[in-house]
Amino acid sequence: MAIELTIVTPEGQAFSGTVDSVVLPGSEGNFGVLEAHERFLSPLQIGEVEIQTAAGTQWAAISEGFADVNPQRAVVLVETCELASDIDKARAESAKNRAEASLQSKADSEDSHRLQQAALKRAAVRIQVAARL
Amino acid sequence: MATLRDIKRRIVSVQKTQQITRAMRMVAAAKLRRAQERIIALRPYADRMHGTIAEISLRQKGAEHALLIPREKVQKLEVVVVTSDRGLAGAFNSNILKAAELSILQREPKLDAISLSLYGRRGRDFYKSRRAAQMRTATVGIREVEYGHASGLAKELAERYVSGEIDEAVIVFSEFVSAMTQIPSIRQLLPLEQAAVSEDADESPYSVEPDETKLLELLVPKALEIEIYRALLETQAGEHAARMAAMESATRNTEELIESLTLQYNRARQAAITKELVEIVTGAEAL
Repeated sequence: MAIELTIVTPEGQAFSGTVDSVVLPGSEGNFGVLEAHERFLSPLQIGEVEIQTAAGTQWAAISEGFADVNPQRAVVLVETCELASDIDKARAESAKNRAEASLQSKADSEDSHRLQQAALKRAAVRIQVAARL
Repeated sequence: MATLRDIKRRIVSVQKTQQITRAMRMVAAAKLRRAQERIIALRPYADRMHGTIAEISLRQKGAEHALLIPREKVQKLEVVVVTSDRGLAGAFNSNILKAAELSILQREPKLDAISLSLYGRRGRDFYKSRRAAQMRTATVGIREVEYGHASGLAKELAERYVSGEIDEAVIVFSEFVSAMTQIPSIRQLLPLEQAAVSEDADESPYSVEPDETKLLELLVPKALEIEIYRALLETQAGEHAARMAAMESATRNTEELIESLTLQYNRARQAAITKELVEIVTGAEAL
């Protein structure tokens, strides 16, 4: 009862190991992956990943990317991935405040408004994941 | 004939140069290690990405993306030239620029227009005097390659390709083969080349959420970013490797120079002593 989970980012492999199950934030909603899952591809949105292993549950914050699942393994390609233990809480808080402040000012163009919203979401997810520890 | 003091002064000056080249070599070696690690870290990501795109667009019929479709007639070409910001790296940058210029000259007669995007100060300075009218953007002042550089460039190229402003885009960069070898190479960026899919792979089709077109829309621009990012990282690693080699041979040259200068110095010193002795002896005889 296990699948191989690999999380890769452009900066390197963030996670690699045998897990019992993993829950991923798909663009159409969260989905869980167990052993013998059908071949499946889905974009991922900013959110948290729940990794169940024999040793316990691990949490990670990811940004956009996609997941490639087959019966034996799951590969997650994302731009960034931070395990709960690696998250710098203070940095996440300050990023959140920054994004909120600039969203409130409303002076930005639509493009940068969207960027700020994404930044806010990333920061919020990081804080949420860090709180899981 | 140079006086003793002149020779001594030259030796000291060469020694100072040697200190600088030696320090630069060590700095380059440290930076090279980091740059190499970054390339190695990126490879699995890039490979998986390519594999998945190829698989979707081949297996799921009807899944197409604007950036994957080649133009029937290529008239407007965009050339992205990646160089380093700093010199003192041997022939590193001039090799890249030579390759870029050669391919531009080859293709120019058959094209309507060529536009240039330059990354790195060396490339900009080179083309500022030669092809100023064709230069479009230049990124300079790079301390270290960032993902943002690649994604910005990718976004711009994709928009211009879709709008028909360009028909093809290529990137000229330095491929990092090893610390001793860097090869200037040219790769096509747009339309994005697809990796070949091995036929023995699992034949069952993917189920895809929400659908293939949407997924390709997400994947293809990202693959372009990765392709550019990879070229930037390879060039960066090559720059440090080339500088390391250049500074190593410079250090060796200063060693040789110091050796021959020391020999000269000793000879001059000996000559001076002999002369003095002769003077004393002749002086004593005269008494």
